Amino acid sequence: MILALDSYFEPWWIQIIKSLLIFGVALGILPLIIVYERKLLGRFQGRYGPNRVGPFGLLQPLAEIVKFATKEDSRPVTSIGPLYLAAPVISILTAVAAFALVPFGDVTNVFGTRVGLYGIDPSIGPLYVFAFGAIAFYGLMLGGWASGSKYSFLGAMRAAAQLISYEVSQGLALVGVIITAGSLSLTAIVHAQGGMWYFIPQCVGFLVFTIASFAETNRSPFDLIEADAELVAGYFTEYGGTRMVAFLFAEYLNMMVVSGIAVTLFLGGWLLPFGIHPPTWVDPFVVLAKMMVFISFFIWIRATLPRLRYDQLMSFGWKILLPLAMANTLVTAIIVVAVHK
Amino acid sequence: MSTVIFFIAAIGAITGAIGVIVLANPFYSVLALVGHLISLAALFLLLRAEFVAAAQVIVYAGAVMVLYVFVVSYVGNDASPVGQGPSRAATLGAFACGIALVVELFIAVLGSGLQAIGTDGAPYAVGFGTPEAIGKLLLTRFLAPFEIASYLLLVAAVGAVTLARRRHGLDEGVEGDPPTVSVMDLLRPRPVGTGTMAEAGGRVEVGEP
Repeated sequence: MILALDSYFEPWWIQIIKSLLIFGVALGILPLIIVYERKLLGRFQGRYGPNRVGPFGLLQPLAEIVKFATKEDSRPVTSIGPLYLAAPVISILTAVAAFALVPFGDVTNVFGTRVGLYGIDPSIGPLYVFAFGAIAFYGLMLGGWASGSKYSFLGAMRAAAQLISYEVSQGLALVGVIITAGSLSLTAIVHAQGGMWYFIPQCVGFLVFTIASFAETNRSPFDLIEADAELVAGYFTEYGGTRMVAFLFAEYLNMMVVSGIAVTLFLGGWLLPFGIHPPTWVDPFVVLAKMMVFISFFIWIRATLPRLRYDQLMSFGWKILLPLAMANTLVTAIIVVAVHK
Repeated sequence: MSTVIFFIAAIGAITGAIGVIVLANPFYSVLALVGHLISLAALFLLLRAEFVAAAQVIVYAGAVMVLYVFVVSYVGNDASPVGQGPSRAATLGAFACGIALVVELFIAVLGSGLQAIGTDGAPYAVGFGTPEAIGKLLLTRFLAPFEIASYLLLVAAVGAVTLARRRHGLDEGVEGDPPTVSVMDLLRPRPVGTGTMAEAGGRVEVGEP
């Protein structure tokens, strides 16, 4: 194999099974998160939320998927064919690829072979996610541009400015963790948090990362890219049926990736506090539970805060968040050097 | 396996590079350049330079090309060719430069590259291409070029901000009398929680409707 390093010890069939598993888990958990968000938003706003289809409204997403899949496949005459079709594919492929990085557990023995409970653990660590995030941007950009509509175009332009602005802060916020842990490997970073989860010593980095993640995943209060009151739906205004669902899935999947990175780098991954060491098979559920807490926080913020104005978004990103992230990196580096001397 | 990937990436890189100069619509040219850069990143991965590959995608395909797409889709949204066509002298000059470049490349390839084809290349050292190894190189052997390049970028950034600030309409100034700005103007205080729209190129006075 081309990437035959020490960390790629698994046989090829394990890698294929893991790929299928990641794809299945990622796409299987998304409808649950969507219905969870709608239920929770309903509760926040003093109403029931979906409760008609199935027990507690749990089958609502299935009903909606059937509805979307059976819709007429239409597109505007002004759209540019191949690019219009490629955009949702780029979005969802890059989101699933980024999800492969999230570690759900350490290397364990499964059926006699050593298997890492993660997609891959590359030596470049979080840079892998940022690389796919950079490509994912073209899904938004091409979708908005190739639709041939003014709303879509404005949404894509906003996406370009916003994603660049907040990607810098998001990346810099992680540098503090990487300096503290002394490694880029995500499993090594989780192991380094045995004494204390990094959201305590790296609280500024955690704050910056969380805020920047809201902007990177187009979530409220940074959802100017698809601001429904001004742009209808931004870059996917002209999309309908399954293509629109692909964009929505990519957005929720990105939310899961960001939650997974936050859990791994700041919230101790699969570790539990107070010296509790459950058996290994519990680890993935610990990670999933922590991710759900983080996603609940996303939904809580969406129900609470109004949308920012565009100039506020830019000023906040460049004048407050970026200097804060840089100061955090500098102070962390100085402290680490001083302590290790 | 790696041979197949190499040929896919190499063909992608060459097609992308040709597309950049052949395509008439600047938006498609930029997209071809993105394809070229991503193919190059795949080639870097084949050479086990993981960090360089990731940096290539994040910095070039991600940040730089996004700005290109941003500008091109605002400005050059139609298929009209850029400019009115070069002059005769410019065409001849470009042709001469192209030939000189081809000759130079052939000298390089025939002189040294052909000898390397028969060998297996440099042996793989453990840790090569990881962020750790590159960081060590940048802070020891290549410290001076690294620092000089970072100062160059800093100067460019400060210069860009100063030029953008000098644009008409951003500062209070008498009509026809270009306002003078200094770097310290960037640090001027402003009431907390107010925006100025300065980033958008216009100006909204605080307190006015």
